[in-house]
Amino acid sequence: MKRSLGWRFILTLVVIGISIFLMIPPKEKIKLGLDLKGGVHLALQVMTDDAINIETDQAIARLQEQLKKKEIPFETVNKVSPGTFRAQGLRMEDEGKIRDILDELFRDWNYAFSGQGVTLTLKPEVDRYIRDQAVNQALETIRNRIDQFGVAEPTIQRQGLAGEKIIVELPGVENPERVKNIIRTTALLEFKLVKAGPAPDEETLLKDFDGKVPEDAELVRGDPKRTQGGFYLVSKVAAITGKDLRTARRSVDEWNNPAVAFTLNPDGARRFEKVTSENIGKPLAIILDGRVQSAPTIQDRISDSGIIHGRFTIEEAEDLALVLRAGALPASIKYLEERTVGPALGLDSIRKGLRAGIAALVVVMIFMVFYYRLSGINAVVALILNIIIIFGGLAYFRATLTLPGIAGIILTIGMAVDANILIFERIREELAAGKGVVNSVAAGFSRAFRTILDSNLTTIIAAIFLFQFGTGPVKGFAVTLIIGILASMFTAVFVSRLIFDFTLSRKRRPETLSI
Amino acid sequence: MITLFKQPRIKFLNYKYFAFALSGAIILAGLINMTVGKGLKFGIDFTGGTFIRIKFREPIKTEEIRAKLSPKGLGDSIIQEIERGQREYQIRTAGLIKRGEKPGEEIETHVIIGNMVIEALQKPEELAQLEKGFKDLNSIDHKELVNLLAQGFPEEAEEVARKIIELRDEKGIIESFDDLRGLGLKEETIKFLQEKSFLGSLCVLSRETVGPQAGKELRKKAILATVWALIGMLVYIAFRFKIAYGVAGVLTLVHDVLVTLSIYSFTNREINLPIIAAILTLVGYSINDTIVVFDRVRENLKILRKLPLEELMNVSINQTLSRTILTAGTTFLAVLFLFLFGGKVINDFAFTLLVGLIVGTYSSIYQSCPIVLYWQKIFGPKKKLK
Repeated sequence: MKRSLGWRFILTLVVIGISIFLMIPPKEKIKLGLDLKGGVHLALQVMTDDAINIETDQAIARLQEQLKKKEIPFETVNKVSPGTFRAQGLRMEDEGKIRDILDELFRDWNYAFSGQGVTLTLKPEVDRYIRDQAVNQALETIRNRIDQFGVAEPTIQRQGLAGEKIIVELPGVENPERVKNIIRTTALLEFKLVKAGPAPDEETLLKDFDGKVPEDAELVRGDPKRTQGGFYLVSKVAAITGKDLRTARRSVDEWNNPAVAFTLNPDGARRFEKVTSENIGKPLAIILDGRVQSAPTIQDRISDSGIIHGRFTIEEAEDLALVLRAGALPASIKYLEERTVGPALGLDSIRKGLRAGIAALVVVMIFMVFYYRLSGINAVVALILNIIIIFGGLAYFRATLTLPGIAGIILTIGMAVDANILIFERIREELAAGKGVVNSVAAGFSRAFRTILDSNLTTIIAAIFLFQFGTGPVKGFAVTLIIGILASMFTAVFVSRLIFDFTLSRKRRPETLSI
Repeated sequence: MITLFKQPRIKFLNYKYFAFALSGAIILAGLINMTVGKGLKFGIDFTGGTFIRIKFREPIKTEEIRAKLSPKGLGDSIIQEIERGQREYQIRTAGLIKRGEKPGEEIETHVIIGNMVIEALQKPEELAQLEKGFKDLNSIDHKELVNLLAQGFPEEAEEVARKIIELRDEKGIIESFDDLRGLGLKEETIKFLQEKSFLGSLCVLSRETVGPQAGKELRKKAILATVWALIGMLVYIAFRFKIAYGVAGVLTLVHDVLVTLSIYSFTNREINLPIIAAILTLVGYSINDTIVVFDRVRENLKILRKLPLEELMNVSINQTLSRTILTAGTTFLAVLFLFLFGGKVINDFAFTLLVGLIVGTYSSIYQSCPIVLYWQKIFGPKKKLK
């Protein structure tokens, strides 16, 4: 008995020591949730259909090219839905040749001949892969952008393993508008030669082209914030895109207005030089996310650097440079949730939570001592250790303390004494049945243990599902609850038993127990 | 030794029909209220919308707020006072789908409507001052304030700005320039601020916007989490005890959830994510209670072999009664303090826990054992319960 007291004492001290070491100083070690610290929480969805559409469009272009190259007549190749397209108006005798093309060059696609055409569908595993990549890439891009914007300790993570949702948490940020725009901009930058425009409407624009958009061109609108608006007719193929950029920074143009200066990588510079030298005197449209920002006239051959102007404010120029540096998003983004908590409310919540917690703690302690006398002090010690372990656990798992988390701790204060009560009541029963003090204590602990284990494990089951389903504050609550239950089992069963054994071992023949 | 009960011998199971009738009546009333009546009020987490907490510089009445919102077509917003003193309010804009917005753009619409609410509550002269380029000390952020102060006092700008923002965080809103004097700022600094800035009449404490799509998903997830938690417990109890206890335990929990929701449906409180968390917690707590009773029943089945099951259950409940009441008592006390002092943000959560605690304690005494009793009557001999 005496010998075993030793190691149990040491284990308890070690656990408490580690917990205290982990949680001190609490201001640095305990991570506070946004609801306590203040900040912005955003949930957004990556529209992965965009990525599938791009894949489909490219495949359509490739198929048309191949059919032309092999001189196979066809009428149209059209998109049916994202991930499905159909070539129409084929001749029966060409089927073999087409199969050869498809088998060799369209391995990502399932195909089926029907009528006078063939329908191609993206293979499910490829579809999944592309969507997954789109989300990952979006995650990476957003992380880049937030890093460059400069937020301390941001959380940017994917929700669920295969989810298309991304959670962004930015502590300390109070105004979400600017950040939201930075995250959301697709930032697809293209430089395209202008064939006609700007014109106030489509008819005027296309009057030199018989009212139809030529095959190698497309219609683009002017960004109403940056230009006069209106329509431009630009070539379909971009001279350079955002991928060719090496750097971008805020700068000023020759009239000292805010603008974005960029430099190109060697490959981009070569292509840009070719296009500019061949088209001196013609306008070149700078298109961001499908909207013309400006269309300056090419004055001279440009190779590896240039300037984007438009009517930017300083902040807008800065943000555009930022998103260009961080890269384009592979798909557009939609906001699902947006929550902003000011620091004042968080501070208030912490204050009130602390007040409620301390009040609860004091009252429960007084009650335990009043009801169980000296044994109650045992429970009080267990309760205090329990709270220390909870905070140590929170610090160790780098879990976030949220307002519901504080509620969870307060609830744990009430529930933690449950294990003590179960044991004490059992000991009282054994004493009443006439067993000696030492035997009663031993029987009380061993009989109550199974009940405590079963009842606490079922509560943990509920908490695990809570963790699975929740986000932010609710998740914080679940973690606190789980740590609290485990800690209370340790303190009530192990530590409390130790205190009993220790006090009993000091008396030679204990006859009474204050319980 | 202080004891709650001196060897109680209450015949709990004699009241089982009364208990069934009572629970049934509450659940029935709740279900009627939920389907035909006013029903459960879902918060923005589940319906989508905008929820804003505002602190005003001067007291204002609910009707005054509504009068300011009405001209903008926002008069049907839900306006609630957070704390006595008519200074802090929470405003939830009403359902927006009926305003006929395109579904894809709705969260943007919610954001715009949130801005409209704030603008409507600001005084016209404030908006004019903002227009002229004056800064509102009650909404300015730290960086902007440093920039402003740097125009006059480049050296101290950082420190003064920090002090002012800390004061604002502490109090929620700066009420007058006199507040700033308490910070030990120089008179010229205060004069400078009075010239370059003003004190807005309100401060936005928090602001939440949820799109309708998110709401739908959260609703599905909440139901799934509850169902899976129940299944998880059923399996665990069936494995550790016997299937009869598992079924009875889970039925008791379903009872708890239904009764709590029914009572909730008669209050003016909204259901948001934390409420679902509270309900799952009470599920965890209630099963805890129930298992303590079951454990005693199982133990007694081995000792008191001759006793009829119903009698045995009475004995078991009585034996665990002081523990049940004591634990419920301490937990209730703790949560009561949370309810009383925890603040408005957590108040609904604490309320749900309080109700759930009472329901959970009641059900583990009056519901769980009778269900096992009936299961045994239908499915088989007593020894299967050991």
